[in-house]
Formats: sequence, structure tokens, C-alpha cells
Amino acid sequence: MKILGIDIGSRAVKLALFEGDTLKKSDIISTMQFYRDYSTTVDGSIRLDLKAIGYHHADKIVSTGYGRNNLQVENALIINELKAHVYGALYQTELKNFTLLDIGGQDFKVVKVENGIITDMLLNDKCAASSGRYLENMAALLEISMEELKGHFENPVALNTTCAVFGESELIGQIALGHKIPELSAGINYSLYKRIKPHILKLKSKNIVLTGGVAQNNAIIHYLKEDFHEVVVPELPQLNGAIGCGYLGVLKERKRSNA
Amino acid sequence: MKKVGLTTTIPVEVLLAAGCTPIDLNNIFVTGGKGLELIESAELDGFPRNLCAWIKGLYATAMTNEIDAVIGVTEGDCSNTKSLIEVWQSKGMRVIPFGFPQSRQREAMVKEIDHLMKTFEVSMQQVNKVMEKLYPIRQRIKYLDELTWRHNKASGFENHLWQVSCSDFNGDPATFLKDLEVQISEIEARSPFSDYEVRLGYIGVPPIIEDIYALVEANGGRIVFNEVQRAFTMAEASVHDSIYDIYLSYTYPYDLKARLVDIKKAIAERRLDGIIHYTQSFCHRGIEDILVKQQLGIPVLTIEGDLPGKADARTKLRLESFMDMLRDLKE
Ligand code: SF4
Repeated sequence: MKILGIDIGSRAVKLALFEGDTLKKSDIISTMQFYRDYSTTVDGSIRLDLKAIGYHHADKIVSTGYGRNNLQVENALIINELKAHVYGALYQTELKNFTLLDIGGQDFKVVKVENGIITDMLLNDKCAASSGRYLENMAALLEISMEELKGHFENPVALNTTCAVFGESELIGQIALGHKIPELSAGINYSLYKRIKPHILKLKSKNIVLTGGVAQNNAIIHYLKEDFHEVVVPELPQLNGAIGCGYLGVLKERKRSNA
Repeated sequence: MKKVGLTTTIPVEVLLAAGCTPIDLNNIFVTGGKGLELIESAELDGFPRNLCAWIKGLYATAMTNEIDAVIGVTEGDCSNTKSLIEVWQSKGMRVIPFGFPQSRQREAMVKEIDHLMKTFEVSMQQVNKVMEKLYPIRQRIKYLDELTWRHNKASGFENHLWQVSCSDFNGDPATFLKDLEVQISEIEARSPFSDYEVRLGYIGVPPIIEDIYALVEANGGRIVFNEVQRAFTMAEASVHDSIYDIYLSYTYPYDLKARLVDIKKAIAERRLDGIIHYTQSFCHRGIEDILVKQQLGIPVLTIEGDLPGKADARTKLRLESFMDMLRDLKE
């Protein structure tokens, strides 16, 4: 049995294929390309061209997405995004008790998991300044790549506005004062972290699991490690939601064959 | 002395033997529809904001209803009650103290109940007579509990409401029984809930949040065990037990250890998939959550309530996600 997990995000679509109990194959493609090249929308549900994406072997599909992107994929089981990420973290970390921090392109979530079950959560999709998008915009303003941005954590310049739009003017002010790229980048990373930290504190546990696109940001990992006991970044943080979809499919299949 | 307010379950047999009408102030406070107003009036009288809402509700309910006296439980319930009693007394309310002896020693219990009987001027004979009347009612309540978890026909809310009402039998045991029989026949005629429902246990003090049972059912589950409410029924007592025995085997006023034994038994017998541990804001019992989570061995969702009313959006989402994952384990 081959099970395909799909996570349709705002910027990227993530695919994870399980065969039996193991992850066999995965891909990340841009959301634009996904809609343009690999799918057609029929009566409000998405028909996938699995062959074109290279996943035509899948027997079952489990999918998730956020908000308007949580569309009905034809012949798929749709699950909510929170659950998808928790199953992904359960599979990737093998932990049962942890606080999951997922920072995506447009939102962040903090989810507390106890005994393998969700018991609490704080979600934020209202504030661009607390998401990956903030980092992208600020990097663009500095005319540096995300690659370059994510490495700097020392001597952050102060960026205190809580708003993504006013944050840009504040950054320009700091540039004008003569600060260099490393401190400016660190300031951007730190200001994102500072906004999210109080939410983690509310639901903290001994293990913090960091996922989502921003999990590749070394500076954020550095700040987290300074403040929390144990910080775990799974091997494929960005694919976590898709892996969770696939893994839930595997669990359901296991139950069915045991029954 | 006619109408006697209660702050929690006490040996109600004594009051009934004396011809008094027992009134559980908690029940009136939450079902009266004026919860928030009552809390506000207690705060106007000086009760702090950061104090358990039940205490403020009890205070104001007793002050605004025609109550001739209150039984104040000084031991085994809540240390807040001790201070509450003093405020009541200062306002001219007659308060009769009663304590569940923390030693859980027989002699101490005998002393407490005898003292209560003396205050109400009733004999053991009179008390025994009431006990004979209450015994069959308690057995019918036990049956209603079985209709919940064994026959899967009664809802979690019905289970809660009828059991919690055993603290005062709504002031009139005969009418209570009549109404109960009507309810039981109605429940018996139903077809059972689905085999696939998520079965939850509810532990901790009764909820101040009114729609918890409805929300669980809206998410495809049912509460089939109400821990403290069931303890209020004294339905486990045998027909031969004396009034002292009954209140000695009552678990709620004593340590958590004894309660956990009870809860573990229910988890196995009632095939529970998960537990909702309800805690009240500013209540010392919230600390018990540490042990509850460590020792029960099944998933626990802790829900904290503060003011009377409906669950907030976050509580709803938490409950929904918790039950959703329990269902994955079950399917
Ligand atoms: S909920 Fe806690 S603090 Fe409030 S009355 Fe009950 S025991 Fe006391």
C-alpha cells in the first residue's frame, strides 16, 4: 500500500509518499506551479495530475492545507492542518510529549502534545510580522537572500515595532544609522523570535519541536536553544505537514488490516 | 428552621429527618441564569476578583434567596469556605458548621454527624427512616448511570444533572423520584448511541461551563463517567450501611489517591478513551492535574473554567482537536 500525503501551503505544496511504514519519496513545489501545471479544478475540488508530478503509484491520498488552500482534493481524505503537523512531528521525532512550533509562510502555530494527543494550541494567522513572510520582505529590503539572512544572530539591532509594514521603515532607519548586514539580519531574526516567544512560554514543555519553512533559520534555532530546555528540529521540517498526512494514512491502514 | 442552604454534599438525611428543605446553593447558582449578576454582587460586597467563582456564587445565592440557615463545610471541601462562613455570619446569616474529618476516622465522623443531628434535634431512628426512603432512589440513580455507560442510552448531561442533584434531591425526594422515573422510561425507550463514539470521563469539580456535555456530543463523543457527581449520589452504599459508613466511604472530601483508584476502575470498566479534567480558575485543586496526568495512563485534556456561561472559542477548538485524535486511535 502506497499512501501520499499532501500539504497545500500558501507558498509551497509539499508531497510525501509512504510505502508500508516508511517515507519513500518527497518533494516541495511552488504553489503557483502546483495549480498551473499539475492540477485542474473541477466543481470546486482539485483533480491532480499524479503522473505529471511523479506520484501516480499512490493508492490513497491524505491531504491538508490552510484556510482557502484546504481544498477538496479528489479522492483524498482531508484532515485539518493542526493534526497533520502533530502526526508529522510524532513520526519524525518519535516523541510523545512536546510543544510543536510551526512557523509557516503566513502563520505560526504553537501546539502542546501530551501522550501523543493535542491538548492545547495557540494559532496566529492575523499577523504577517509573526510569519515567514516577514523574513522574506525584510530580506528583500536588504537585498540579500534568505540563505544569507538566516545565518546571523549576533548583535541584533533593535527592531521594536510589532507591525510588518512599520517594521520596514524602522529597518531603513537602522540602515541609515550605518549598521551592517550581519547586525541588521540578526535584528530581523530576533524581532520575529521575540514576537513568538511569549506564545511558546504559555504552552511550553521540556521538548520544543520546530517545523515549517522557518525551521531552516539557524538564528531562530539559536535563540530557541538559549531559552528552552531541548529544541528538536526534525530532518524534514518543511515537509512535516505532508509527512503527517501520509503517516496518519499509514496508521489508519494499519488499524484496518488489524481489524 | 425550614430552608437550609448547602455549600456541598453533606449528610442530607439529617436535614430531611428534621423536616427541612435542603437547597444546594451551587445548583441554584448555575442553573438560575443569573450567575454573572450574582458574582458581580459578591464583588461589590468586597470579594476579590481573583477568587473562585463558585465561592462568590454561593455567597450571593444564599444572600439573595430566602434561606434560613446554611451548612458551612469547614473541612474536606474547600478552605475558601471557612472565610466565606465568617462573612456570612457577619451579615447575620445562621451558619451550622460541618466537617468531613480529614483523618477519615470513624470516631471523628460519628462526632460530626451526631453534632449535626443534635443541632437539628433528630434521633437516629428518624435518620434511619429517611435512609430507608433514600436508598431506593439512590439505586435508581445508579441505574441511570448504567443507562449511560452500560446501555449507552443516557446522555452525559443527563448523567451529570441527575447525579449532581443528589446533594439535595431538589429539596423534595418524593417528587425527585417521580421525575426520575419519567426520565428513566424516556431514556429506556431510546436506541443506543453508536459503538464508534469517543467515550470520555469527566473528573474534577462539576463544570461552571454549561455546554461542555453538548460540545462533546457535537464532536461525536459522550461523557459516560462523571466522577465527583457520581460520588455525590452515595449509590455505592449498601442497604445495611449506617449513616456513618456512607459518609466515610464518600471519596470526594479526602485525598486524591482514593479518587484515582476510583477513576482507574471506571476507565477500565467503562472503556474510556480519554479524560476531561475540569479545573476551576483560582482553585487549589488545579494542582492535582500534575498527578492526574501522570497516573491515569490515558489521554487527559485539562479544561479550566472561570465564569458561568458557554465555552470560549479556544476551549472548543482544544476539545475538537483532542477528540479528533482520540477517534483516530479508535477507528
Ligand atoms: S472549585 Fe475549588 S476553590 Fe472553588 S469552591 Fe470548589 S474547591 Fe473551593
